[in-house]
Amino acid sequence: MSFRRNGSLSSTLLLIAANVLIPVAIVIFATGFFPYKPLLPGLAEYEPLDGYGEPPEAPFDKLVFMVVDALRSDFVYTTNSGFKFTQSLIRHGAAIPFTAHATSPTVTMPRLKAITTGSVPSFLDVVLNIDEGDESSSLASQDTWLAQMKAKGTGKLVMYGDDTWLKLFPGTFDRADGTTSFFVADFTEVDHNVTRNIPGELRNDDWDTMILHYLGLDHIGHKGGPRSPHMVPKQREMDGIVSQIYKAIETQDHLKSTLFVVCGDHGMNDAGNHGASSPGETSPALLFISPKLKGLQKNQDSPLPDAEDFQFYSTVEQSDLAPTLAALLGFPVPKNNLGVLIPEFLSIWPKKADQAYLLHQNARQIQTVISAASGTKTFDGALPEESCASPTSDYEQLACEWQGPSSILMSARVGDDMDSQWALPVVTVMPNLPTQHSDPHPIQLTIFQWLRKAQELMSGMASNYDMSRLILGQVTALLAVIFSLSAAIKTVSPTRSLTPLLVISIAYSIMMFASSYVEEEQHFWYLATSTWFGYLTLRGFKHTNTTFPAHLLLTAFPVLASLRLLRAWNQTGQKHAGTPDIVKLFIEPHPHFLWLLVGLTYFWTHRQLVYYSNGPIPVPINYPVMTGLVLAAFTFKAAFTLEDAPELVVEFVKSSLLDFTLIARARAVFVGLGLVAMAAMGFILWEMGTGVRKRSPKKVPAEAITTLQHLYTILALTQSRTANIPLFLIFNLLYWFLSGEIDAPDGTGLSTVELGISSLLLQYASFFAMGGSNAISSVDLSNAYNGVSGFNVILVGVLTYVGNWAGPVWWAFGTVVLLGKIWRRDQRQKRLGSGNNGKRGSDEKEEKAEAKQMLEGGQISPFKTYVVVTTLFTAFSVAAVMAACTILRTHLFVWTVFSPKYLYCVAWSLGQHLVVNVGLSGLLFWLGSL
Amino acid sequence: MPLVDPVTMSSSAIVKGAVAQSTSTTKSTPGSQATESSTTTAGSSSSLATLRPVQIKQTPAAQTIRHALPAALTALYLFRFDALVTNPVPVMLNALPVVVAFQMTYALLCLPAAGEPASKSNRKPRPGEKKKGGDIGSSTIITALLASVLTSIVTPFLYFAMVLFGAPFLTHGSHTFLCAAHLALLTLFPLFYVHGVDSAAWAAVGGFRAPLDETFGGLVGGLVGAWLGAVPIPLDWDREWQRWPVTILCGAYGGHLLGRVLGGTLFWGKRF
Repeated sequence: MSFRRNGSLSSTLLLIAANVLIPVAIVIFATGFFPYKPLLPGLAEYEPLDGYGEPPEAPFDKLVFMVVDALRSDFVYTTNSGFKFTQSLIRHGAAIPFTAHATSPTVTMPRLKAITTGSVPSFLDVVLNIDEGDESSSLASQDTWLAQMKAKGTGKLVMYGDDTWLKLFPGTFDRADGTTSFFVADFTEVDHNVTRNIPGELRNDDWDTMILHYLGLDHIGHKGGPRSPHMVPKQREMDGIVSQIYKAIETQDHLKSTLFVVCGDHGMNDAGNHGASSPGETSPALLFISPKLKGLQKNQDSPLPDAEDFQFYSTVEQSDLAPTLAALLGFPVPKNNLGVLIPEFLSIWPKKADQAYLLHQNARQIQTVISAASGTKTFDGALPEESCASPTSDYEQLACEWQGPSSILMSARVGDDMDSQWALPVVTVMPNLPTQHSDPHPIQLTIFQWLRKAQELMSGMASNYDMSRLILGQVTALLAVIFSLSAAIKTVSPTRSLTPLLVISIAYSIMMFASSYVEEEQHFWYLATSTWFGYLTLRGFKHTNTTFPAHLLLTAFPVLASLRLLRAWNQTGQKHAGTPDIVKLFIEPHPHFLWLLVGLTYFWTHRQLVYYSNGPIPVPINYPVMTGLVLAAFTFKAAFTLEDAPELVVEFVKSSLLDFTLIARARAVFVGLGLVAMAAMGFILWEMGTGVRKRSPKKVPAEAITTLQHLYTILALTQSRTANIPLFLIFNLLYWFLSGEIDAPDGTGLSTVELGISSLLLQYASFFAMGGSNAISSVDLSNAYNGVSGFNVILVGVLTYVGNWAGPVWWAFGTVVLLGKIWRRDQRQKRLGSGNNGKRGSDEKEEKAEAKQMLEGGQISPFKTYVVVTTLFTAFSVAAVMAACTILRTHLFVWTVFSPKYLYCVAWSLGQHLVVNVGLSGLLFWLGSL
Repeated sequence: MPLVDPVTMSSSAIVKGAVAQSTSTTKSTPGSQATESSTTTAGSSSSLATLRPVQIKQTPAAQTIRHALPAALTALYLFRFDALVTNPVPVMLNALPVVVAFQMTYALLCLPAAGEPASKSNRKPRPGEKKKGGDIGSSTIITALLASVLTSIVTPFLYFAMVLFGAPFLTHGSHTFLCAAHLALLTLFPLFYVHGVDSAAWAAVGGFRAPLDETFGGLVGGLVGAWLGAVPIPLDWDREWQRWPVTILCGAYGGHLLGRVLGGTLFWGKRF
């Protein structure tokens, strides 16, 4: 007996150790995987270049920078575009078109950082993009072309549009009007708020930088995809603004030296989303517009036919904007820039010495970045011949290749006849010349190639890993796997019942190494869940007294059909993003049907709340309180949908709404939920304290935690997209099946391990069924600000988490109630068992001793077994994701597939496993077992 | 992506449903293969315990066919693979009669028919008895025909099971249905032939308590293979053969043949 107790104690210790090691491993690995990128502080100044004299004169002094969010290249350049005026500008040479390659993550904030600083933002910026309140994502202290324009002091900075700019550049703008991208259903108002400021600003002459950021086109993309009927009219509207500004530049004298840049921050995929690295997402348009640019290059054709890869005209890097603006507007290249001056503009400066100066400045600036990153001063002097024969590092290679262009550039002087030197053939001309460029001289080509190479190397350098930390994190995670495995073996008997869990964990671990399985992870969970529930329903036939066909029809079919509906509800993943699913085919075209299902879901939840709260709360209070709560939640959802997706709201629902603000409605729901939850918990504790028990002792806390479970359902409904709400009906059906399986006769009922596996599968399957995926773009922020007026990191974080993990958390809490049921079942069986023993054994003492034994050594709390199950899987998944990230760290998709997966893995293991499955569920189980 | 369990469930459901109406003739013959040794009056529990693995007839013809047919099926599959990838529906449709012929031959020549006195197939053939052992009587042909009728009745249910496990529902209807037909023909037809509608035998098959032999091994292999066939579909290799239902059919054939051969040889008589 003492051995068993020690076994139980040691397994508990192992379990705790595993759960401590998991977050430790995650933190260690993350610090090595997402290193803090050192930034050069301060504002850049022109590097002193011997003999070159003053910087060349800039052709422009004012900048209008118009960002059209998600302006994919083909939206402007192809035949069916609405940008007819812009296309005429391209034909006449007044607009120079490019496709600007946007690196992943293709979301607004990192893209704006790349555009303004010229650097390649680190992956962490994605997280900070969501966590908008974070100060470290601010660019106020960094060198950007905005800071340079401000430093020039030739005018004010004004900004109209997406308030991301205001967050990135606090205190930079002299006049600004920010719009928020809160409701994507808003196609017109967000843009109107920008456009109405333009005529006045065009008459003002006190500014030198005007930034406009239009969100409407992105909203249309998110809502209806790139082929939405709203798309071309929106393009025409944007074209009208281009025309308005261009004509002002042409006619108004104070604007005559204005450079007008039109660009997208990123593109969109065929579903209208963005964040990853498909060609559509990474190919926004970029145009430099000014009457002064006419004649710079031979006229371009426009419009062009469609291109599969979205590459039109020359392709440049988005970061190239920064040095190009620096040259065109006459300020030093921002310090952390990795962009390359766009070659097409070089011929603006007729003097070769000026061209040499600009290229030289660009190269020197990038060399400073390289020196800072490599910690050496490789570019200062001439390198010895022998070290260049076999360079030891990429930096040295770059330094060696710099020798050739450097000597020519250094020998170029003001007033010299540059042409002869420019035409010199350079020995180290590299292959794959960028043929699209407007035929510069060989030396220029060499410099451009060197710059491109440096850019490529340094963009990769945005992620130099700390290998020792990666390995330490990996080892810690493996320790967690070993600890959780041994805890599982000690806790679960028979050990063989762990087999399905191990199969799932190992198959999942293997899957993490294939990028397409990470992108399409949902298939794994759907197939595994269907298989597992197929097994459970088939096994369930043993204890039914119906015929086999009846069992099939009444149990197996509903369960498997529910899972099939779950699978088809939202199409997720990358490969088939945007293809038809139940929501698109049946829900959105039939709003009446949707509201019928939504109403049913709320009605059902109300019924559950009233039914289970009868015990703890007296009926006269219970019924009106619950009804009020559910009504508040339902009307909030209706009012929210009216703003977020008005096409989904039917007249009947619309007419039933009173005039309250959304924030007030959401707060009413949250406060109501909080009060009732506290009442239910207080009731349990009070019952315990006073020992007053009107009904059977174990029933009251059990009912109270069921009340808490259904209160959470209300929260989950509040935080879910309207089209996903009917999924909770399906969840309820599956829950009902599992609950019934627990009470199966003759000891064939669901064991704790089996319930744990079912719960694990349903937690993951429900996450994907509600539209989740392993892509950053699928994080749903639409409900993140419910009831929040300002910005509160914790509140918004919790609301975002519940908004995206509504299904998994629902299943975690549901599992706790079912665990309580198993616990009571097992205790009942044990009492029965010991009763039988007593009858057989004649000695009363013996009987007592036996009962005592049972209590002391016997039963392992089902909650512990459940934690064993989730810990085992979590440890496996964390270790596997880490191993995949380490081994595939140089993989092409590391920043688009594996790093996002790591972030999701962190959310699953810290949020879902530790906080929800261990913390909150543990609290709930404890309350239920009082 | 059909899984073993629901499929067998649906198949035996059919058995139960159909028993009363159509195939009572088969049932009435005493002493099914399952209850060979002792109990012809078997209650379901005793027959469960005594379900014997199916023995292939000992005639040279049967022994040749049992090895030749899997090879022939493999050859057929490999030969038509390219065509299957480019044009799945007509190829699966055209292959169906060929597979029917193969399976019929296999059943008639190699397998003991349901209701056939089991001792016949078990006895060692003597030189003069060859003809008798390989005898194809009218009753066995009727059994084979009934088995094929049952197989075709089961096919829609198999199709439905595949949809429940994730096969496309609104599109690719004929693809999935033909795939289900092939799967049923490969895995269930031989079982119908040897067990008829003996509910006890089917309960053993459905509950995975039946001993392994060519028929049961082929069933398990085929279903597991079809299930595993779903695995390569999400990969981003963008190959033509990743299209629905090529991998499923491939898995079903590969798994079936493997299970049939292993079940008939290495694991014969073993239980899960």
